[in-house]
Amino acid sequence: MMFQLSDVPRLLPELMLAVLALLVLGSDVLERWADDPTARRERGRAAAQLTSIGLGLIWLVALVQGGLAFTIAPASTAGPLDALLSLGRNLQAGGAARDALLGAFATDGITMMARLVLIGAALVVALLAGDHLPDAHPAEFFTLLLLATLGMCTMAAAQELIIAFVALECASIALYVMAGYSARQPVATEAGMKYVLFGVVSSAVLLYGMSLAYGVTASIGGADGGPPRVNTSFAAIAEAVRVADATQRGAIMLAVTLMIAGAAYKLALVPFHSWAPDVYQGASPTVAAFLAAASKTAGVFLLMRILTAAFPGVAGAAGSAGFTGWMALLALLAGLTLVLGNLAALPQDVTRRLLAYSSISQAGFVALALVPLGGAAPLRDSATVALLYYLVVALLASLAAFGALAALQSAGVADRLEDLAGLRQRNPLLATVLTIAIASLAGLPPLAGFTAKFAVFVGAWEAGAAWLVVVALAMTVVALAYYLRMLRPIWMQPAGERPAVSVAPVTAVTLALAALALIALGVLPGPLWHLAQVAVLAR
Amino acid sequence: MKLVDLAPTVPWLSLIWLVPLVTGTLVAFLPDTRRQLIRTLGTLAAAVSCVLALLVTLGYDPGGPRYQFIEQLPWLPGLGASYLLGVDGISLAMLMLNGVVLVAAALLSWNITEHESSYWALLLLLGAGAYAVFVSLDLLVLLVCYELTLLPKVLLIGGWGTTRREYAATKLALFMMAGSALLIAGAIALYFGSAMRTFDLRLLSAHALFPVEFQARWFLPLFLGFGILAGIVPFHGWAPTGHVAAPTAASMMLAGVMMKLGAYGCLRVAIGVLPAGAAAWLAPLAVIMALGAVLGAALAMVQRDIKFMVAYSSIGHMALALLGFVSGSRNGMIGGVLQLFAHGVLTALLFGVVGRMLYDRTHTRQMAELGGLRQVLPFAALLFTLGGLSSMGIPGFAGFWAEFGVLLGTWERFPALAMVAAISVPLTGGYTLLAISRVFFGPLPDALAGLPRLTWQERVAGAWLAAILLAVGLAPGLLTDLVAGGVAPIADALARVAPVVPLR
Repeated sequence: MMFQLSDVPRLLPELMLAVLALLVLGSDVLERWADDPTARRERGRAAAQLTSIGLGLIWLVALVQGGLAFTIAPASTAGPLDALLSLGRNLQAGGAARDALLGAFATDGITMMARLVLIGAALVVALLAGDHLPDAHPAEFFTLLLLATLGMCTMAAAQELIIAFVALECASIALYVMAGYSARQPVATEAGMKYVLFGVVSSAVLLYGMSLAYGVTASIGGADGGPPRVNTSFAAIAEAVRVADATQRGAIMLAVTLMIAGAAYKLALVPFHSWAPDVYQGASPTVAAFLAAASKTAGVFLLMRILTAAFPGVAGAAGSAGFTGWMALLALLAGLTLVLGNLAALPQDVTRRLLAYSSISQAGFVALALVPLGGAAPLRDSATVALLYYLVVALLASLAAFGALAALQSAGVADRLEDLAGLRQRNPLLATVLTIAIASLAGLPPLAGFTAKFAVFVGAWEAGAAWLVVVALAMTVVALAYYLRMLRPIWMQPAGERPAVSVAPVTAVTLALAALALIALGVLPGPLWHLAQVAVLAR
Repeated sequence: MKLVDLAPTVPWLSLIWLVPLVTGTLVAFLPDTRRQLIRTLGTLAAAVSCVLALLVTLGYDPGGPRYQFIEQLPWLPGLGASYLLGVDGISLAMLMLNGVVLVAAALLSWNITEHESSYWALLLLLGAGAYAVFVSLDLLVLLVCYELTLLPKVLLIGGWGTTRREYAATKLALFMMAGSALLIAGAIALYFGSAMRTFDLRLLSAHALFPVEFQARWFLPLFLGFGILAGIVPFHGWAPTGHVAAPTAASMMLAGVMMKLGAYGCLRVAIGVLPAGAAAWLAPLAVIMALGAVLGAALAMVQRDIKFMVAYSSIGHMALALLGFVSGSRNGMIGGVLQLFAHGVLTALLFGVVGRMLYDRTHTRQMAELGGLRQVLPFAALLFTLGGLSSMGIPGFAGFWAEFGVLLGTWERFPALAMVAAISVPLTGGYTLLAISRVFFGPLPDALAGLPRLTWQERVAGAWLAAILLAVGLAPGLLTDLVAGGVAPIADALARVAPVVPLR
């Protein structure tokens, strides 16, 4: 496991993210020639544009390099496009590979998929943020966005405890600052503070779990009866777990429990969810979109890596075959989150709090989708495909919903439900986008949310957790009740004296594209499903 | 017999539902100021899809295989779901019904003057979804299309409705979602129960794939999941409020087609796939349906609001149709499907008269405040009477053959229940005649003297629906042969596990 120079391209998107972050910061330093509002706006726009263009480029690189959607044929004759094609060929040569870099950084299909998803989400957020610039220090905001994305991509690739933790903190610390970015508004400061406190505690819990796992495995002999292998890599932990005896398994289970609890904070699973509504309400809506969409997705990737790579030995069961291991733990968390998250959403009157609880309940579905990952290989693979599909769809829906709220906020619309009254008349586009996003979150066909939920249910059912599917199905009825509370003012109440709402063009196009993607993925789920399948089978 | 030869290379069934869908999408992007264009396009799309449905009906070969016009494309191969379309006699009757009602609903939507583009887009989406359900032979696609109709319904009621529209829309949505939750659980159970990992309804229903205990356990969730939308008592709570609050065209589609989607699902999926499960539940369900028929009629009798009367009568009529299905005999099922068709057309006619021709002019639906409307709106009086006579099951109208078949079929297995259900017939006669005499006869209140005349759209739509009722009533063979062919395999499969004991 030597690191070779030829391995550098395998990290290309992450390296580009780091370079872009420095570039955005540096170019802003050079532009600080004045400090009046016009100049500040100008600087903000420049940073937003640079970030968006750069992220677009990195996304394309990740797309070509990943080779999930297409592979470029080997060189044949020198055609007019050959220079371009050979660039792509070179990128793909440094693409998906089975062995992890130094055993610590996986560049398999799932990493490729995660890069596309997370960088794509950052791109959408950057586009939206260009129309909703923060009051001060815009370039630093985009730098933080890029650094958080870098951390998230690394989280999704981690194959080793230390990398996982460092990546998590890289993402989290950037997000702490972003959550409290509008320092002049008390709610934003409160949101930032709350997020930091909860985040630090959850990191500590996670770290404690990690150190326990490390410590326990260090006292277990190798599979061949040899001495203990002191190692933080997931593969080594998995081997140690396999040969552990009953008492050691108890300690391992404690470590897994602590790690799941730490990750559950990040995912906002009940009972670790109480920070989410306040933070989503207090932070600026674009940051809320980033938190609800990208941060959560990265957390799921990390949890998936840890559970499937390091702890398949204590997966257990969550149904008729018994109720043990982390499958049972996740199933329990999923059930709690689905029930309490959905019920708590019912009485909400503030749009962003309502969506925050909806996002909590979406995390419940994600936990439900993680349960079958403890099963045998064919089930685990098909369930991973379903999970990836679900993550993409949930991410798009969250981005569209929170993005629409961001557009509403910058148009001066307050954030209570009744302020949405007559939106179909005041801005048909935003009304339609919000409706599509909400319908997808509610799981109504033909939107992608339905297919995604159905696929996830199938996986959990096969894993024996039919009871959990039944709970989730019952909760979709409750969920529809509060989603309708949001649709009602939009469609069924007159606008009255409320003024029309105008949306900036970039935001409008971005939101419309997200909504269209939700429709397209629902009507034709095949292509994305195939992509996810390639990603899973490529590992 | 096959009357038209259709080119096999054309995807006829896809066309039927794509025409309204594509037109609806186009219309959504037109500005509301292009009112005339939007209305014309919408009505044309409805008419074209109806003609296509008629062509397919005429091109169906009753002597050929059970399912024809098969189209199959991969949709979600990872889950074994494919875009699989095909029709049998039952689907054809339902396709025709949807076409007929959609055309009338479109014609009666010409008075909408608020947010036309979204209204028409939603109405056409509703029609397209219903078409797609009736032609789907893949359970997952069927469920997708089934739930696709939820949002348009809710938004149409909530956005353009009248009495307590937000409450009615929410209630309908939650009832439907509860049904869908049952259906999704049922679909996943079928998926894993068959070991074939498929949603293909032909495969799922072709053989007795499922053990009897499995069938008995999963029949009820599937039947109830669809049955909630069919308005079965005691899960009918959404129906009266929803029908009354909806704008006229939406109540026509809701009572005329949407409730039929539920009943169709009960027959095609619940009974068709799980005959042994059905056999275990026939008797209790038949009791509920017979009582539901009587209850619906009795509740209709005591209504003072004429739209509520029509809404409750729908619950009674739907219960009769489902009674035909759970009678488990061939005659009962044929009668049930005929009842779906007949009731779909006649309830659309009644809602059209009550909601559009009367309420939009008089602004009251209280029968006590109406009267003598025969003098100012004679054609509306004629239409309501024709619809009412069909609803009463008078020979010569489509409703007669339907009720006759249902009661005949029920008599074969549950003679006592047939007698109970028959009580609903005189009750229906009672409330219909009472309504006709209260609303259209007697002295005309002064307030109603100068009502505007019927528009051409109202006349055409009314005449169209009444003509269909009469045509099917006078020549029931138009439908019965087709329907009998479609019902036979389902009834036979049921009869194999639960034979009808002949009466001595």
